[in-house]
Amino acid sequence: MAQQQGFKPVADAAAFKQQFAKASQATQSIQCDFVQEKNLSMLSDKIVSKGKFWFRKENKVRMEYMQPSYYLLVMNGKDIKTKDGQKENRVSTKGNKLFEQINKITVDCVQGNVVNNTDFNTRILENGQFYLLEMTPVNKSLAQYFKTIQLLVDKKDYSVSKIQMYEAGGDDTSISFLHKQLNVNIPDAVFAVK
Amino acid sequence: MRSLLLNSLLLIGLLSGCSSAYKNLQQANGDVNCITKFRPQFANTLYSTQVDILKHHLSGLLFFKQMPDSNLRVVFANEMGFKFFDFEFTRDGGFVKHYMLPKMDKKAVVKTLRGDFELVLLRPDLSKAHVMQDSTYHYTVVPTAKGNNYYITDTACAQLERIEKSSKRKPVVKVWLRNYEAGVPDTISIRHQGFTFNISLQRVQK
Repeated sequence: MAQQQGFKPVADAAAFKQQFAKASQATQSIQCDFVQEKNLSMLSDKIVSKGKFWFRKENKVRMEYMQPSYYLLVMNGKDIKTKDGQKENRVSTKGNKLFEQINKITVDCVQGNVVNNTDFNTRILENGQFYLLEMTPVNKSLAQYFKTIQLLVDKKDYSVSKIQMYEAGGDDTSISFLHKQLNVNIPDAVFAVK
Repeated sequence: MRSLLLNSLLLIGLLSGCSSAYKNLQQANGDVNCITKFRPQFANTLYSTQVDILKHHLSGLLFFKQMPDSNLRVVFANEMGFKFFDFEFTRDGGFVKHYMLPKMDKKAVVKTLRGDFELVLLRPDLSKAHVMQDSTYHYTVVPTAKGNNYYITDTACAQLERIEKSSKRKPVVKVWLRNYEAGVPDTISIRHQGFTFNISLQRVQK
């Protein structure tokens, strides 16, 4: 993506980090729609999913998939609840290192803390419209699944517009965040995991 | 008297344990090729999928794609795009494992999944198959290394009731393909008989 869309290394990385941190500090909550695209490179095909996304500080995330089938994921601190067409499941990331890392990546991505996540080496690029954070995992367990994770940050408001995860095997998954509403009141019940 | 009763019960138990679930089948006339019409015409088909294995529950999307070379790819990923496996079933009966989640990548797991999906794809070698029947159904019997695969239909072979993969004596896996639309089943259910390992698929619009 970086080369295709004319991204080049950011001129002033420190200034970006400062602005990005400031914007994420001011973001108490995010409510939006999302479109997820799973690109199956060898099959020259993709699976598109759509749903709704909620985030509230410090570490509450709810993703509700509506298409092509229903799936709910709620992360609230160390607790995770999932629900599919048949079953509801609750797990704790406590003691599950990989789950904990994935949880942290998700929250860090939407919150913009990802530049400080030591699980990755991060390169910051930009074009006219976006900043691009290119994150390469430094630890083995993450590198087994991801080659890189790219974060597209809108220059307008420093909010994350797209997360693109490139798998070691050549496939990738992107999640685009649309119709973002920042700092709206989101009730506790949205993030209930019990 | 009591010990006689006990012995009789034991004998009945042993006999029933050893007897075949298919012992009442009779030879029948019929065309073994009639079952090929139930072969799912997967072109680019997506299923919402739940897997229960022992105490674990997985859910996600399972994607069948017919490739230009007529091979069929089967990819299973969770709702967030995290891939569990990517298999290829070649048109000449071959199999390629392109990817398996490292934690699940055990020979027995791959072999079981391959066998299960081969039943669903319904591409058996019918050269040694024959037809049998009981009072209700026709059974197209395809011999395998460890037993038989039974493709069970109504007597007119108009409706596929289920598929059973069996050992010498009893079914070990049962598969149901239901509500065909344009050659593609709307629901697919795979149930292992000896232990909890069930896969259920409901077709969704891509």
